[in-house]
Amino acid sequence: MNTTREQHIVQALVDIADNLVDHFDVVELLTNLADRCVNVLGVSAAGVMLESPPDELRLVASSSEAMQVVEMFELQANEGPCLDAFRTGERVGHEKLQSGSGPWPQFSKVALASGFQSVSALPLRLRDATIGALNLFSIEQLPMDECDVLVARAFADLATITILQHGTVTEGRELNEQLAGALASRIVIEQAKGVIAERAGIEVTEAFSRLRNYARSRAMLLTDIAQAAIDGTLEPVAWASPTSIDP
Amino acid sequence: MAGELPQGSLCTSNHVSNLIEELQYSLGEGPCVDAYRDNKVVLEPDLAHPVVPRWPAFSPKALEAGVRAVFGLPLRIGAARLGALNLYRDQPGPMSDNQHADALVMASVIAQWVLDTQAAAPHGTVAPDLESGANFHFVVHNAAGMVSVQLGVSVTEALIRLRAFAFRENRLVREVAEDIVGRRLRLA
Repeated sequence: MNTTREQHIVQALVDIADNLVDHFDVVELLTNLADRCVNVLGVSAAGVMLESPPDELRLVASSSEAMQVVEMFELQANEGPCLDAFRTGERVGHEKLQSGSGPWPQFSKVALASGFQSVSALPLRLRDATIGALNLFSIEQLPMDECDVLVARAFADLATITILQHGTVTEGRELNEQLAGALASRIVIEQAKGVIAERAGIEVTEAFSRLRNYARSRAMLLTDIAQAAIDGTLEPVAWASPTSIDP
Repeated sequence: MAGELPQGSLCTSNHVSNLIEELQYSLGEGPCVDAYRDNKVVLEPDLAHPVVPRWPAFSPKALEAGVRAVFGLPLRIGAARLGALNLYRDQPGPMSDNQHADALVMASVIAQWVLDTQAAAPHGTVAPDLESGANFHFVVHNAAGMVSVQLGVSVTEALIRLRAFAFRENRLVREVAEDIVGRRLRLA
């Protein structure tokens, strides 16, 4: 693998690991993870689903806020690679989705309609606890490169450890609480997207970008910024300016 | 239930029960609402010919759905009021003494369960078990955010109004939300 890609991977791992010591926001962490998968692995879209409430998979972060992509994840509560990866604790992949057939007929139909031809999912797993899945999509019909699989697995493992906070939380009530907290954060962010979309007269996708950029520029937690938007305590400069292109 | 308006049902046994819950949720009136607010058992053994007429919006619609008798029991643990339990019958008539006694036991068991389950939830959130019957697609939350600004209400209130509108128009909450987010619809 070339030096630049190697540098990106190392940087990504360092960034995720930073969250082990710092105060962090689960949704922000996982959104960054999804973005890095797209940048480093060359996939077209990535998303993370977590198990909350117990036995149910819900989307917590994705590389794209586009409605079709979000819908594709929401479908996976019932059928799809994330559910299989989550249930089996093993990586799952399909390089040539066929509408209405294969292991996930309904999901494949929607994925293909969104332009994705191949899909891969890795469990987010630490020892016996599988807390969700990392989902990768590509517009090309390609199986994942073995090198890419290793890198994706490293990202997934590190993210899992970070969410479980040093691996001390792996069962029962505390785990469920943490995962429920992640989903609750996501919901706050979704509501804030609507608030800002209305205030600024923009689409919810753009609203998310502005909130995220603002949080980053102030080194604040995305969920806190979202809550402030809902409470009406967020300064207008947070949403007033258009997003610059992400690096 | 929370505050003055019902927040939503936890679970219902069939589509008529579901309808009774939805009606009270959207209309803000009905046996559960009264039971919760007044902290007492509310009995209406003959909804078509009540001794004291009440619930002018709820009753006709419930009767249309085949409900003939309806009973609301508050869910409470000591002073803590958690909500209300709704029982209905498709024939008029009061509950028998045994049924009444059983209903009270059921209410207290359910109240304890709600309390135990919610106690396990992180502060400021609803326990996952309690919320799983009321999962909304993200687009509904987006729409609630927009409506809260449009109407100058809290996001919680916006969610309630969204659901009430969907119910009145006989549409799925999700579809109404998509229209709001797509700016094809604006709630008044």
